[in-house]
Amino acid sequence: MESLRAFLALWLCSSLCVTPFASAQSAAAARATAAKAGYRSTQLHGDARILHALNRFTFGPRPGDLEAARAMGLEKWFDQQLHPASLDETALDARLAQFPAMQWGIPTLIYRYPSNAMIRMAMNGRAPIPQNSVLQAIYENQIYRIRARQQNRAIGQRKFQRLSSGAPVMTNSEASGLSVAAPMDQSTSPGADMADPGQMDMMAGDEEQAEPVDASFISDILTLPPQQRVARLVAIREPQFDAVIKALRPPQRAALVAGLNPGQKEIVGALENPEGMVTQELISERLLRDIYSNAQLQQVMADFWLNHFNIYLHKDEQMPYYLVSYERDTIEPYALGKFEDLLEAVAHSPAMMLYLDNASSVGPDSLAAERFKHAAWRRRAHQRQDPPGINENYGRELMELHTVGVNSGYTQADVIQVARILTGWTVDRPQLGGGFIFNPARHEPGTKKVMGVKFKQNGEMEGEQLLHLLATRPATAHFICSELAVRFVSDNPPQALVDRMARAYLASGGNISAVLKTLFDSPEFWSTSDYQNKVKTPIEYVASAVRASNADVEDYMPLANALRVMGMPVYGCIPPNGYDWDSSAWVNTGALVDRMNFAVALAAGRLPGIKVNWTPETEVANLASGPAPDPATEEARLERMLLPGGASISTRSAALSQFEAQNARESAAVRPISAVRRFNGRLAPRQLERQDQLLAGLLIGSPEFQRR
Amino acid sequence: MQLTRRFLLHKGALAIAGTAAIPTFLVRSVLAESAASPDRRLVVIFQRGAADGLNIVVPYREKNYYAMRPSIAIPQNRVLDLDGFFGLNPSLSSFKPLYQQGQLAIVHAVGSPNMSRSHFDAQDYMESGTPGVKSTQDGWLNRALQAEDACEACSGARNRQMYTAFRALALGPQIPLTLAGRVPAIAIGNVNAFTVAGRGATLSPAARAFEAMYADSGDRIFHAAGDETFDAVKMLRAADPGKYQPAPGANYPNTEFGNSMRQIAQLLKANLGVQVAFTDVTGWDTHQNQGGVDGQLSGRLRDFSQSIAAFWRDLGDSAENVTLVTMSEFGRTARENGTGGTDHGHANAMFVLGGNVKGGKVYGRWPGLDNDQLNQGRDLALTTDYRQVLGELVTQTLGASNLNLVFPGAELAPNRFLQIV
Repeated sequence: MESLRAFLALWLCSSLCVTPFASAQSAAAARATAAKAGYRSTQLHGDARILHALNRFTFGPRPGDLEAARAMGLEKWFDQQLHPASLDETALDARLAQFPAMQWGIPTLIYRYPSNAMIRMAMNGRAPIPQNSVLQAIYENQIYRIRARQQNRAIGQRKFQRLSSGAPVMTNSEASGLSVAAPMDQSTSPGADMADPGQMDMMAGDEEQAEPVDASFISDILTLPPQQRVARLVAIREPQFDAVIKALRPPQRAALVAGLNPGQKEIVGALENPEGMVTQELISERLLRDIYSNAQLQQVMADFWLNHFNIYLHKDEQMPYYLVSYERDTIEPYALGKFEDLLEAVAHSPAMMLYLDNASSVGPDSLAAERFKHAAWRRRAHQRQDPPGINENYGRELMELHTVGVNSGYTQADVIQVARILTGWTVDRPQLGGGFIFNPARHEPGTKKVMGVKFKQNGEMEGEQLLHLLATRPATAHFICSELAVRFVSDNPPQALVDRMARAYLASGGNISAVLKTLFDSPEFWSTSDYQNKVKTPIEYVASAVRASNADVEDYMPLANALRVMGMPVYGCIPPNGYDWDSSAWVNTGALVDRMNFAVALAAGRLPGIKVNWTPETEVANLASGPAPDPATEEARLERMLLPGGASISTRSAALSQFEAQNARESAAVRPISAVRRFNGRLAPRQLERQDQLLAGLLIGSPEFQRR
Repeated sequence: MQLTRRFLLHKGALAIAGTAAIPTFLVRSVLAESAASPDRRLVVIFQRGAADGLNIVVPYREKNYYAMRPSIAIPQNRVLDLDGFFGLNPSLSSFKPLYQQGQLAIVHAVGSPNMSRSHFDAQDYMESGTPGVKSTQDGWLNRALQAEDACEACSGARNRQMYTAFRALALGPQIPLTLAGRVPAIAIGNVNAFTVAGRGATLSPAARAFEAMYADSGDRIFHAAGDETFDAVKMLRAADPGKYQPAPGANYPNTEFGNSMRQIAQLLKANLGVQVAFTDVTGWDTHQNQGGVDGQLSGRLRDFSQSIAAFWRDLGDSAENVTLVTMSEFGRTARENGTGGTDHGHANAMFVLGGNVKGGKVYGRWPGLDNDQLNQGRDLALTTDYRQVLGELVTQTLGASNLNLVFPGAELAPNRFLQIV
């Protein structure tokens, strides 16, 4: 075995070193060369330079990206990325058309596909149930489920005893042996109302008194043409609707929505769970853009700002809805623009006002507080509530996380002053999806002073003035540029580079594109010592794997599950800090297991709704007439596709040796011929595909693919 | 991740424990011999969502308790009396024998001194162990292990050679803040799924290829991570935790929490070197219809207590070296609200269970429930900082003597410990 491996390594080296990819040797090799030559740091050149740019400014190269950028010239490629309006996004737009509701205004979205809070309002008569038959069905189905859940809580005791005496149930992940296939919605975080949805749903489902659904009833529905099928589903009321959905086997599940247009699919999803449908589309849309947009730098930056201005999806039941607008209207338009515009947009977003509680902040001497105190006299003791007051949450994070950064010289007194300035910045009727408003009655009167700067009493304008002050502080320039450098350059970026970027920030009035251009033009960015040196975060790993595979994604939930298992759920970071950009957070024992399993499952086409194809049709056709392609040839072809910078010899030989070992074992059972020779014999197309899948899975799971 | 001396030493230990050919009893004796003191283990359970301590450990002699909770109070004749003043919620009946046998202690009016009523802030503060300080990046339990490592004088120093990849274990998809930090921790969502590319009796060809690939890699960080990963995977396979089925009478509820506790017991029994374990249980945020003797909260409590009691029974003799502690980010309002539930409050109750615990007692100073005794006129007031309890536990079970490292700024003094252990 060892000698075979050594032989292969030698053979591969001699054969691959003359390919055009020889210039793009692995980082280790490049660094070794640099060290030998006695340079402290050398500059990347040739294809390595292009790959470095693709790895840092995109979610990973797709097959063909290297060649395209080479043909265009790297300067021009980067310029296009900085000005994405000129890029052709036809393919992206076609995919985005799957999710029409994601284009709606938030009040419309929350009215048509209601949150559970909206449903409870409808139950209490505080919101109307729509007259439209489709919407009515969506509301009534959900009302039924909430009632059933409440009833089940009341009889929880009896239920529980029955549950606990039963045999252990196998979870999805156990059944498939794949941790990425675990169910989506088992967040361990505080739910808005009742946490532990898994258990409660199970109870609700169990308790239903639905009539049994017979097979012909279901097949009748499935054979209806799309329009009538939707009409039929709208007409079926609870508890029968859920019984039908539950009785569907996976192929029937697909048949249920087959041929439906995107709007019809959304209706069917909403009949089942409107808030869940919106949440899934929100997450899917984010992943879709990261994977398929040609404006990759725009998406990398949108991802960066969504993390910088982090918001947690389950802060309350409105948040999935507000995040639709937060991504679309607040972050995306300013991702490559001026930081101050972005900061302004975030400060005026209902999502941020709710997430960091500014929406409930009330000046203690404001009109609203006076009214409350007056009213409180008339209440009985047990109805008395806390008097409303200032909530410092947003004020603090605005400085600590969004702008100047901690240790930049502000004090707790400044935090309180900032919070006083921002009193009244709130949200109009959040349960109905209302927008940002400034409520003067909540605004704290009087002059304020932040970091030595006076703010005269001036209502909402005080806050505007404050945001301008913060956006233009040198500390902000350094804080933002340092974070950008960690994202794009290395865990410990050179101070000279950060300083140069910060100067560009201040000189350009906080223009992010100008800062990125400065980064691109800096020799530090192109240092060989940083080539392939950043550990991919889970989103970078998953998106780059899908992109390199040229996979066709119809269902994004398996990717969302993989990200959850890897510890980076989309919009799932609870604290306002956001996820870390440096490697220490992402390299641990459990994480590597999850990455390897994801690689193998993706490559083998085992993630439902995600198609991959590793074997060109011509190769399959040739199997009928000639010998099967040599394994090393297959490996080289897949390596060019997945690791255009080249794999290390150890990765290559490990991938091939397993390939050989597998064949040796398989062939031993049939006829005792040499493992290598066997490939001159015939191979079934399925066998070739399976071997390619295994090779691809190993390359995606390799150490090289963990870095960018 | 670094290639430290500890890492290499731990590789040495694994070479023994990871070899399936060596009988388990031999591995066990090797592990046992090297330990200077009995292997103490700490299991930490977080009740996310703010559990209603006043309906869990009920102050049933407080008149105002019944006045403030007309529809959800636990009647005096239904509580499981503990000491003539407090009584357990009847859904915690499986805790009663543990209390009577002196293994279960309760601390009441305890919690985080920070006044935040935000779930995520309060959870963060409680997990980081630095209430009010947001910038803390690591958790108290990880720092407790760091403190143990730093303590050359204590028994931990010799134990260090035996640390495995399972030393700090989280049952769940990711490492919680409580366990985050410099000491490597491992998160396992599902013991059966913790394997690479398939679950056969031996490593699959793909898994072996990955192992060789990472072992030969020149990438220092991933080389080390790969080694640790395959060590853990193989160690788990060799230990075959599947053969440690629940002991007779250990009836785990078939719930997420029950499954987590069952798996922690499996991993503890399989002798994988687990020193601290963490898991959480959700469903405590009972703003509406929380119920009294029956209902929502009572269902959660039954799951909670039956899972823990089953865990205890499951561990059998080895339970004597295990200490278990529970916490929740804050308590709930003393008064019920207009929708049959309770809102975000302040102080709460903690359970401490262990072979060395001086149980059968409710610890902590009781602040009373009269209107003028309430925190901000609405919650159970706090008389014990939760770090006093945890500080005592980490000193006694992990040998972490530097409490300033574990709970910076808390200024814990051993002479103020409640003497629970």
